[in-house]
Amino acid sequence: MDALQIKTFIDAMASSDLAEMEVGHDGWTLRLVRRPGAGAAASIPAVSRPPSAPKEPRAPAAAPVAQPHELLAPLFGVVHLQPAPDAEPFVVEGQAVRAGQTLCVIEAMKVFNEVQAERDGVIDAVLVASGSEVEAGQPLIRLR
Amino acid sequence: MFDTVLIANRGEIALRIQRACRGLGLKTVAVHSEADRDAPHVRQADQALCIGPAAATQSYLNQTAILSAAAVSGAQAVHPGYGFLSENAGFVARVEDAGLTFIGPSAACIRTMGDKVAAKRAMRAAGVPCVPGPDEGLPDDPAEVKAIAREIGYPVIVKAAGGGGGRGMRVVRDESALVDALSLTREEARRAFGNPEVYIEKFLLHPRHVEIQVLADRHGHALWLGSRDCSLQRRHQKVLEEAPAPGIDPQAIAAVGEPCAEACRQIGYCGVGTFEFLYEDGAFFFIEMNTRLQVEHPVTEMTTGIDIVQQQIRVARGERLALSQSQIGCQGHAFECRINAEHPQTFAPSPGRISDWVLPGGFGVRVDSHVSAGYRVPPYYDSMIAKLVVHGATRDDALDRLRLALDEMQVGGIQTNLPLHRRIVREPGFAAGGVDIHHLECWLQGPGANS
Repeated sequence: MDALQIKTFIDAMASSDLAEMEVGHDGWTLRLVRRPGAGAAASIPAVSRPPSAPKEPRAPAAAPVAQPHELLAPLFGVVHLQPAPDAEPFVVEGQAVRAGQTLCVIEAMKVFNEVQAERDGVIDAVLVASGSEVEAGQPLIRLR
Repeated sequence: MFDTVLIANRGEIALRIQRACRGLGLKTVAVHSEADRDAPHVRQADQALCIGPAAATQSYLNQTAILSAAAVSGAQAVHPGYGFLSENAGFVARVEDAGLTFIGPSAACIRTMGDKVAAKRAMRAAGVPCVPGPDEGLPDDPAEVKAIAREIGYPVIVKAAGGGGGRGMRVVRDESALVDALSLTREEARRAFGNPEVYIEKFLLHPRHVEIQVLADRHGHALWLGSRDCSLQRRHQKVLEEAPAPGIDPQAIAAVGEPCAEACRQIGYCGVGTFEFLYEDGAFFFIEMNTRLQVEHPVTEMTTGIDIVQQQIRVARGERLALSQSQIGCQGHAFECRINAEHPQTFAPSPGRISDWVLPGGFGVRVDSHVSAGYRVPPYYDSMIAKLVVHGATRDDALDRLRLALDEMQVGGIQTNLPLHRRIVREPGFAAGGVDIHHLECWLQGPGANS
């Protein structure tokens, strides 16, 4: 699944009234959730993927919890790793995070979109520099 | 007299200003951020200078960089466009101190109109009708404020003198809520505008937003160019505008237009400007003046046949207005749709690469845009990518043309609010004309908006 395919799903979801959508293909899982009452400061759920596309159609049942995954940018914009220029970062490498926790924000046209953890985990690596431009679908943070 | 103009803006308005300059035989200097290197007005400029990184604070709001660009390029005038530094009195003073011409009013006029209490006082002095309420800041004693509010009659609105554009205001329905609202608005105003002064006005329940375009030269001549209705708004942002304001007697427009021109003469205003009014039950109430060119100026150009941007530059060059009030008429009707890179239902921004760009055309159709197929809408600035403007012999004629033009226009690769505009122009309330400023938001919340 590439960035373009993911964007296609996001667009399909956005132009529908679906509340939730899950797509599995070739070892990938893409889950999109619309949060009720989301307004200008909408939170856009992140897209997750396993580190490498497994050869087997089904991974062992026990593996997924411990598997690292990458948080992908939900839209084109400027990524911020801290809530304000002089504030502490949202997260640092090695930090444990909970599902739903804000890990970074992506600014597009003066709107700040929170990017949240899809599951519990530990920050393995931050893959982007704060203030840089990120493409839709670009990996932002790796969780383990 | 200047022959080279530095355009201190971006997007469609930079291109619009460049066209006006070229029409007058003037050279242009484009200053741009790193994100706007490939903009059409940058390519077409006689000189182009990169003044900083993408973030507006480091480029289009960087006064020192813009003034340095003017110095090295030899530009003798600065056109600020709208937004960014267009109503920044401090910047105007620096432009003038550098020996350059600011294409707009003086710093003093911008300061007066930027202070909403001072502006109201100046308007009352010129005979412009204002919203009921005193034209001075509120006293500290809550008992005195209560007495003032009682005299106006509830509901009232507490506003920051340094606010404007829908910011720094709070509605108060009855006396019990007044003191809290007062201290909250004061505190917000102190933080947001650096000026804790607040004032109080009658709160109108179902007003329309009607505005008067003015044009004034340096020689004491001022004209008003007719009315616009900008009542279709979402979160204080205009979505669709028209000229003239429908269903209002032209004599009533003239009765409010003439005092606007008189106010310009009294305060020594030069350039283009807009007096914004609330209109309710047949009466006009001044709310604020915009001391710059506005996004929606094309609808007035269509109905008056006057190139407002060229006129703005001419008066900045010191020319006398060649027009008199009796020569200014209103021919037919015009609409403008602001086409934004945003989701038509959630309004989430949608920057990115535009794959398809099909524009409408034909008689009475105009599109002001800096965009083309392959253009990448940057995530750094506001979301407007085009203005679709149509003109017709009557409002119904123009509305038919607008419906067809909206259907013809296609944008691929990003989300736009085109589908929203297509629904708005078929909504019976809007089609009938004269809806109030709450109409669009009410309709968006109802079941009709998505059907």
